[in-house]
Amino acid sequence: MKLVKTLAALALGAMAGVALSAPVLAQDGGLMVIITPSHDNPFFKAEAEGAQAKAEELGYTTQVYSHDDDANKQNELIDSAIAAGAKAIILDNAGADASVAAVQKAKDAGIPSFLIDREINATGVAVAQIVSNNYQGATLGAEAFVEAMGEEGNYVELTGKESDTNAGIRSSGYHDVIDQYPDLVMVAQQSANWSQTEAFTKMESILQANPDIKGVIAGNDTMAMGALAALEAAGRDDVIVVGFDGSNDVRDAIVAGKIYATVLQPAYRQAQWAVELADKYLKEGSTGMDEKISMDCVLIDETNASDLETFALAE
Amino acid sequence: MSSAVATAKQSSQGNTSALLILLKLRTFIALIVVTLFFAFMAPNFVSVANAIIISKHVAINAILAIGMTYVILTGGIDLSVGSIVGLTGMVAGGLLAHGLQLPMLGVIIYPNVPEVIGIALLVGTAIGAINGLLVTKLGVAPFIATLGTLYVARGAALLLSGGSTFSNLVGKEELGNQGYPIIGSGNVLGIPVSVIILVVLALIAAYVAQRTPFGRKVYAVGGNERAAALSGVQVDRVKIAVYMISGFCAAVVGLIVSSQLVASHPASGETFELNAIAAAVLGGTSLSGGRGLIGGTIIGAFVIGVLSDGLVMMGVSEFWQMVIKGLVIIAAVVLDQLQRRLAANSRQG
Repeated sequence: MKLVKTLAALALGAMAGVALSAPVLAQDGGLMVIITPSHDNPFFKAEAEGAQAKAEELGYTTQVYSHDDDANKQNELIDSAIAAGAKAIILDNAGADASVAAVQKAKDAGIPSFLIDREINATGVAVAQIVSNNYQGATLGAEAFVEAMGEEGNYVELTGKESDTNAGIRSSGYHDVIDQYPDLVMVAQQSANWSQTEAFTKMESILQANPDIKGVIAGNDTMAMGALAALEAAGRDDVIVVGFDGSNDVRDAIVAGKIYATVLQPAYRQAQWAVELADKYLKEGSTGMDEKISMDCVLIDETNASDLETFALAE
Repeated sequence: MSSAVATAKQSSQGNTSALLILLKLRTFIALIVVTLFFAFMAPNFVSVANAIIISKHVAINAILAIGMTYVILTGGIDLSVGSIVGLTGMVAGGLLAHGLQLPMLGVIIYPNVPEVIGIALLVGTAIGAINGLLVTKLGVAPFIATLGTLYVARGAALLLSGGSTFSNLVGKEELGNQGYPIIGSGNVLGIPVSVIILVVLALIAAYVAQRTPFGRKVYAVGGNERAAALSGVQVDRVKIAVYMISGFCAAVVGLIVSSQLVASHPASGETFELNAIAAAVLGGTSLSGGRGLIGGTIIGAFVIGVLSDGLVMMGVSEFWQMVIKGLVIIAAVVLDQLQRRLAANSRQG
């Protein structure tokens, strides 16, 4: 009987492609579903890869999905995870308020959720919420920026998507430091929606209106790269650029002396930690930690940039 | 001048025709109004350097809108152009960064920059051809056919790199594939290469639309498809051709965008199709086909471009920028309707 089942599974797997047969045949501790925003941002890709590698190392099968920052799609993915009988969900959610109901639904179905990177506006719904300390990170970046600027001069801020909590937290972290220096004047502040193309276009226009800028501080690394491209196109290699995230592109730009600094969020390690906590919770019934866990960010500049690889700093 | 106004006032007929001329020139007037507004409101708006920057930003949307205008003139729509921008950028980036990998033969071929450009343009045009075949031979509505290719092309762009960016596309001397950044950031006599590409494409597109048999067929198909078919126009061929033109234009933009950033990102070009449709509509192209001019579309693209850049230079928030852009598009369509009603009335009268 068992042989027949295995053969049937193999046949089905062969029919539907090799991918399907893997979860059927693996002998495992159950299914872990990993849901993050779109992998076209290397940051979220690193999260998904970190979580997947750790979960498979611990003997779980995995399914990796992206909700593309669409709360509705996230809701459907969580329905699928419930239907698939997942043991745990690792989630970088699609919105602090919009995600509460979906996580609650998983909890009601008996599936614990472990949140990474972004919080939700409710406690007691997810088992753990591990968040990088964006505020602490922003103050680190701002301090480096202030120092590089020599505490004076005009600067531009490119902020992230204005509906995203982290965009606001990072911006206020920047300003809580920079605004203490009256000689640092923000001449333009624009949202570039985390996008490289948009940062490029807007930076070109801002440079036209304010040619006398000395620095640019961006809410993430893709916008910092877009701003850098615009500055280079205008022949401005004298402008100080600071980003946030710790991507490989910005690392290379720091090594080449084009970007001054960025702030690393340890995305890969954070996702792995969430999986470790999920494993502990499934085996022991508790993570042994508070629900809200904060991970500190690390400043990346020319002294340590070469140790950075895919959102992880070599020990 | 005053006598002209006086004669216009004498008859309501004259009044209507003056109004009609104003309405016909509405996009051009809108362009002058927004430019004057920002000249006073935005710092350093009036300068040669800024005019060049704005033209560079407009080029991206305007080139897409040229292809879009051809498609709309036949009564179709092409929603896939934004995704084609992303995909062709990724094709070019992948070829430059990792070469053409042939695992069966165990070789990696690194094409040079002109070859990379050729391949990317071919990919874009081929997707356009698929759109055209879906619409004509399989009878899929243009909205649905190109919505399908929108997803397929975007998915393919993400698959090419597993979602990551191909960065630092400067090429390597030993591979002989240097020079890619010229398309996006090169200059000839101070004019950006992308603006020159726009001017050349716009002139060709306007000439083909107004002065060639093919152009007349495009208008005929959009004006009355049955009549065109009965008078011997090969409707399917014309339609396939316009989608290929649109795919080609999208590929050009894909190359410009990735070259500007010296990086290709699989999500680039998202919602570009909507901006291109907006430029065409603002420029007076009728979504029901048969009516519109390439020149109008270009002016429409400039209205949108001057608005976006000017608002950024004034420091207006992103949210207001979206609201204002939307209101301008609605106003343009309302005026278009008004013009048509007036024109119909004055013909009857």
